[in-house]
Amino acid sequence: MDLNEIRQDFPLLQEYRGPKAIAYFDNACQSLRPQVVIDAITRYYVSSSACSGRSMHRLGSDVTRHCEQARDTVAKFIHAAKKEEIIFTRNTTEGINLVAHSLDWQKEDVILISDKEHNSNLLPWQILTKKQGVILKVVPSGEDNSFDLDAFGKLLDKKVKLVSLGYTSNLDGLSIPAKEVVRIAHLNGSLVLLDAAQTAPRRRIDVKDLGADFLAFSGHKLLGPSGTGVLYGKYHLLERLAPFLVGGATVLSSTYDSCQFLPPPAKFEAGLQDYAGIIGLGAAIRYLEGIGFKTIEKQELLLNEFITAQIIGIPKLKLLGPADPKQRSGIVSFYIEDIDSHRIALMLDQMANIMVRSGQHCVHSWFNAHKIAGSVRASVYFYNTREEAELFVNCLQKIRKVL
Amino acid sequence: MFCIVAFIVLGILGIFSATSKELAKEALNCVFRRVTFRPCDTGFDEKMKARILGSVITRSEGAARVLNSNFELLAWVFFILMLGSSVWAVRGSYLYLITGSCSGINQTAFCIFDPRGGHNKVSPLTDTCQLKPTTIADLTIKEVDLTGFPVLNRDAKNKIVMVGSYGCEYSREIYPLIKRLVSKTNASFTFLDYPVKVKTDLTTRLGLCVYQHDQDKYWQLNDLLFATNKTNLDNAAFAQKAVASLGLDRFEINRCLNAPRSKALLNKQLNEVVKTNIYGTPTIFINGNAFVGPKPYRVYAFALSGLLYWLK
Repeated sequence: MDLNEIRQDFPLLQEYRGPKAIAYFDNACQSLRPQVVIDAITRYYVSSSACSGRSMHRLGSDVTRHCEQARDTVAKFIHAAKKEEIIFTRNTTEGINLVAHSLDWQKEDVILISDKEHNSNLLPWQILTKKQGVILKVVPSGEDNSFDLDAFGKLLDKKVKLVSLGYTSNLDGLSIPAKEVVRIAHLNGSLVLLDAAQTAPRRRIDVKDLGADFLAFSGHKLLGPSGTGVLYGKYHLLERLAPFLVGGATVLSSTYDSCQFLPPPAKFEAGLQDYAGIIGLGAAIRYLEGIGFKTIEKQELLLNEFITAQIIGIPKLKLLGPADPKQRSGIVSFYIEDIDSHRIALMLDQMANIMVRSGQHCVHSWFNAHKIAGSVRASVYFYNTREEAELFVNCLQKIRKVL
Repeated sequence: MFCIVAFIVLGILGIFSATSKELAKEALNCVFRRVTFRPCDTGFDEKMKARILGSVITRSEGAARVLNSNFELLAWVFFILMLGSSVWAVRGSYLYLITGSCSGINQTAFCIFDPRGGHNKVSPLTDTCQLKPTTIADLTIKEVDLTGFPVLNRDAKNKIVMVGSYGCEYSREIYPLIKRLVSKTNASFTFLDYPVKVKTDLTTRLGLCVYQHDQDKYWQLNDLLFATNKTNLDNAAFAQKAVASLGLDRFEINRCLNAPRSKALLNKQLNEVVKTNIYGTPTIFINGNAFVGPKPYRVYAFALSGLLYWLK
């Protein structure tokens, strides 16, 4: 992989060069976008700005074709059985909410989540406990924050209707043994929803192999446009789900007192969609495939290993998750006792234009339970360099010395 | 304390920058919470401290360490300095408004009274000036007998006395302003001619005689003398032409000009002016308060009618 050549593809990295050069380590929040994605979005607005799936004219047909090509690209990307299993959403959060609001819940149905879920995979279920009388149970993690299959097994009973878990945690980068979880859950007769927001950008996902019933991820974390996301669902399950948002383009026909919904995915994609975003998402996935997951994983590991080795000895620094970088993908999340994480992040920005995330990363529940104010999260991606990692480490060591 | 300093600084920067404006709003919120004895919950002070430390640390780790340990103390120091400089700035602005000078020194440029005409000569090192130089505090109008000096609106409550010289550029600059002020406020206006720059004995006597002859015509003559080219001053031909143009009796005026009584009166008046202790022209007394050198119109107006003069 020629890193310099790859970096040329990202206009933002070209914009900030020389003394203004930035080290973008906030990829777990959202990635940068390559020029091909920007071009694809622009091309929609310049060449075929029209409605998809309803207008018969030439521009409408063009948009429909491009959007369906994007759907096909996404389906192949995660090895879905067919492209109709792909529903375009605004983000992972919307995908999870769609499932939460569309499944047929019975009182005292149980939903299982882990103790370090993003708010996107916590709040929708909390709302359901109040509205539908379902029960939310939390699987505690092991001592090293890894997923505890035993604890999971103990909580699994016939009342568990859905197991909804973060595939890769945005808190510490740890992935769960998803295939095993799905197998166990299915043996119990439970459905499984995986929040793959952090997995899809950095690891090959094969939904057929995993067997997951639902899987949601966002476009903006895998080089795609903001406001794009995907919900995968097994087709027969999608057919049974009630639509979440209804309106234009979701029905075959309607009368004054009834309607006939279209089959999935159309019945879940109400109203005019973000066609430019969908087309851009297709371009992003094609670009990502071009880079290859082996390259991505290799570069992330290289950088994570370097950063971890350099910072692990910093006094009072606590790493979230296991010390082994291999288990934490591209995420290095830590806190330094007595130093506010936001202060570290702001100082890194001020000192050398290093962009990291600080705070509780939308996992307030875990931080509150562990009485930790917050952490600094440096999340690298394939376009980050060893020099950037060195800069980050040097600055962090300086901060520790001074504060 | 940092919030207050930051609010003031960012408030000013916010006039020019949207980013600073947003930060100023955060600082204001922080200030409000602090003055109501609540902790700042926006993290503004933390944020700014981190940014400042981030900048300093790249230059000097030692300085960053000191700053980090004494941040609140330094914020207090800056607050006190800012308070002091703000008070100073307000004082300066007020003085500029009132006296025309930020320092409050009630004199700018003026024509130095130099009866021997020696101020461009180099004096021996052993020479001394007065033991105690004359200052603005020595200026007074109380001891001066103003009888016989030209006066407009004699009975008005507010009194303006101008000691000026036809040959002094600063007097020439200020005279129309004073006339405008008099016309607007109907204040009493007395003019004391004191020739500090060029010899204007003839002109002074001419003024004296015209005033005795026709007071209205005197003010027309005065306007003319302040407006005319300085080479015309003390020029007999110009004086005659002026008398003619004002429609005055040339014979009577000439007789007055040559009369010993006129010369005596002139000397008496000059001696009266000396009692003011003036050291330059123009010197304007407004209800007894002295202003040396030319000032903006508002300074005289404030002195005469108070700060709200423009409403009157």
